[in-house]
Amino acid sequence: MDLVQSVVPILDSFKAAFNSGDVQKAKSLLSSLKVKLTEFTSLPPFFEDTPTAPKELMIAREVLEHAVLLSVKLEDQAMFERQFAQLKTFYTDTRHLLPASQQEYPIMGLNFLRLLVQNRTAEFHTEMELLSQESLQNVYIKHAIALEQFLMEGAYNKVIAARRDVPAESYNYFMDLLMTTVRDEVAASCEKAYPTLSVASAKEMMSFDSESDLMEYAEERGWVVADGCLKFLVDVNQELTSKDIQSTHLINQMLSYAKELERIV
Amino acid sequence: MVEDTDMKEVEKVAKKPAAKPAESVPEPDLSVLLKRNVSLIEKAVNSKEPRLMGRVLRQTGVFRKKLTAEKIEAFVKSTLPEGVVMKPFLLDSLSSEGSGMQVDVPSSGKEATFLPETEIYACLVVILYLIDQKHYEKAKAVTTAAVQRLDTFNRRSLDLLAARVYFYLSWSHECLNTLDEIRSKLLALHRTATLHHDNIGQEMLLNLLLRNYLHYNLYDLAEKLRSKTELPESRSNQQYCRYLHYLGRIRAIQLEYTDAKECLIQASRKAPQAALGFRIVVHKWLALVRLLLGEIPERTMFRQKGLEKALEPYFYITQAVRIGDLNAFRAAVDKYQSVFQTDKTMNLITRLRKNVIRTGLRRINLAYSCISMTDIAAKLGLGLTDDVESIVAKAIRDGAIDATLDHPNRCMYSKDQVDVYSSQEPQGAFHARISFCLDTYNEAVTAMRFPPDAHKKGLESAEARKERQQQEQELAQHIAEEEEEEEEDF
Repeated sequence: MDLVQSVVPILDSFKAAFNSGDVQKAKSLLSSLKVKLTEFTSLPPFFEDTPTAPKELMIAREVLEHAVLLSVKLEDQAMFERQFAQLKTFYTDTRHLLPASQQEYPIMGLNFLRLLVQNRTAEFHTEMELLSQESLQNVYIKHAIALEQFLMEGAYNKVIAARRDVPAESYNYFMDLLMTTVRDEVAASCEKAYPTLSVASAKEMMSFDSESDLMEYAEERGWVVADGCLKFLVDVNQELTSKDIQSTHLINQMLSYAKELERIV
Repeated sequence: MVEDTDMKEVEKVAKKPAAKPAESVPEPDLSVLLKRNVSLIEKAVNSKEPRLMGRVLRQTGVFRKKLTAEKIEAFVKSTLPEGVVMKPFLLDSLSSEGSGMQVDVPSSGKEATFLPETEIYACLVVILYLIDQKHYEKAKAVTTAAVQRLDTFNRRSLDLLAARVYFYLSWSHECLNTLDEIRSKLLALHRTATLHHDNIGQEMLLNLLLRNYLHYNLYDLAEKLRSKTELPESRSNQQYCRYLHYLGRIRAIQLEYTDAKECLIQASRKAPQAALGFRIVVHKWLALVRLLLGEIPERTMFRQKGLEKALEPYFYITQAVRIGDLNAFRAAVDKYQSVFQTDKTMNLITRLRKNVIRTGLRRINLAYSCISMTDIAAKLGLGLTDDVESIVAKAIRDGAIDATLDHPNRCMYSKDQVDVYSSQEPQGAFHARISFCLDTYNEAVTAMRFPPDAHKKGLESAEARKERQQQEQELAQHIAEEEEEEEEDF
């Protein structure tokens, strides 16, 4: 019990620092908390059945939940991944030991967003398989999954709309990151789909705040601006180079056929 | 839980062809058959010939349905000498089953030649009986005890029997829905099997573990295990088939549809006709993976004998994707939602929405040279009009359709279709076919079995020829048996 008692005050001051927005102090307190947590024997992977086990698990889960949210505040994606990996076992393996956490779905949703931002779709779907049909209906999860579908379809306006009604404040960081991805995607689509596009509509489609921002971006991508219109360059070179690759590819194929046939005859 | 029923179906169907020839001939008594198997086991162990062991298991499958508690009790009493660890336990698990009739069989004095293989075989017979009678709790107890007993031996001649015991261990747990309990045990067994170069156990346990993970949708862990284990060199067709099925599913979840398709196609081709349940599951996944790749599965796939009914929901989904009608797609999803949820394919189905839009767009693109966004939205059944433009733009960028957009007029102009035969496509299709044929040929060559000393037969006398003919006959018999075995094992 002493051990648990000694952790509680640190946890309280950590939470206070977290809530008041003092991220540096929270960060240093977090590392001391983590050291303390290693002394709890009832935590995964040991799951020792001690009398204080539920309390210890609760504290550990709370610490990790705050750590995940802290990493969002610090805008540190690697830290987010680490903390979430630790926290995940609490959500999967201690379900029968603890009451469900209120933070569970928001944090899961955050993780989905992170995978989306980092474009790790395979992992996104693997994680998604773990959720039951009921949890898929949860507002936090649904938000992230809908985003993925919009992105796949190309319904970028809906993504931009989703930016406005995020389910929690902590989502803003990842949503902002997602916006840049979306802008790049829209730009790439425009390049292929439109021969020309007026500056005004381009500004609206890529959700730029001012025309000068758009001009900067246009220069970056090598678009030509003339008469208030953007002209996209058609890549002529691509076809020529693809023909070069074709012949070596074909030679390789033919050689492999010859080799195989020789083996048969 | 889908696969439970599938596996049961498989077993049921697999029994049929095997049981038929047995019925036409007057069947010797069950106890005689069991005795014969025991002597076969002894022969197998003494001659170190694992093929004989395979025959034992096959024959057990034939009379499996005829097992009764009394017969097994008598068998256990007569075969296992006193002092064998499992004997009282086995009798105990049977006792409440049978009528309690005590059959007194004189001990046949087997002590001198008693083998652990026989003991495990007796366990296996009891387990088979308990599972057929749906006493899963008891089957679980017996298998757990048998696995514990197996841990005390280190004999290669046990491998085949041990693998079966592991299978039923997992099976009884699956029926009781407690698969997660045995995961660490299976992992430990797999480790041991790998260290002992026990190929049969290794394959079996790897598949059981994959099944275990996939049962709980732990695709992540399944993939990690799979990528870190090696498949043993000599593999049996059935186990490899299962492995391909699991791998195909993992790949499909990870959005690697091309790999997934290859695995699932191979699995469906390798699966014996009798394994109906297995084929149903494979075809369901295969249909979805092909749709996700943008292919349309042929109608014949859904018309296969015995599969029509199970594949019906997937047939409607395919139809909706083929004509690119979002409304039909939504209707089909709503109608069969529960089916897809039990099949664990719901998430894949939701991914298909994009493909429905794409095929719809492609049709519009082919039919119209110029069409307004509002018309496209109406034709596809899309909701908001302002989204259509970006969806179409993305489709153009991904190369699904060939067109240009006009933003001020909100129109799509289709470009003229290029002649396919001027592109590389025919060559690609041709290459795919050639490489498939070559692969099949190479696999056939590696799968062939050559009789020992066959090359020495160049100079043979009349007597030798007679002998050779006899050998050939035996070989033919072996092959026939092998085929039987493959069907059986599913």
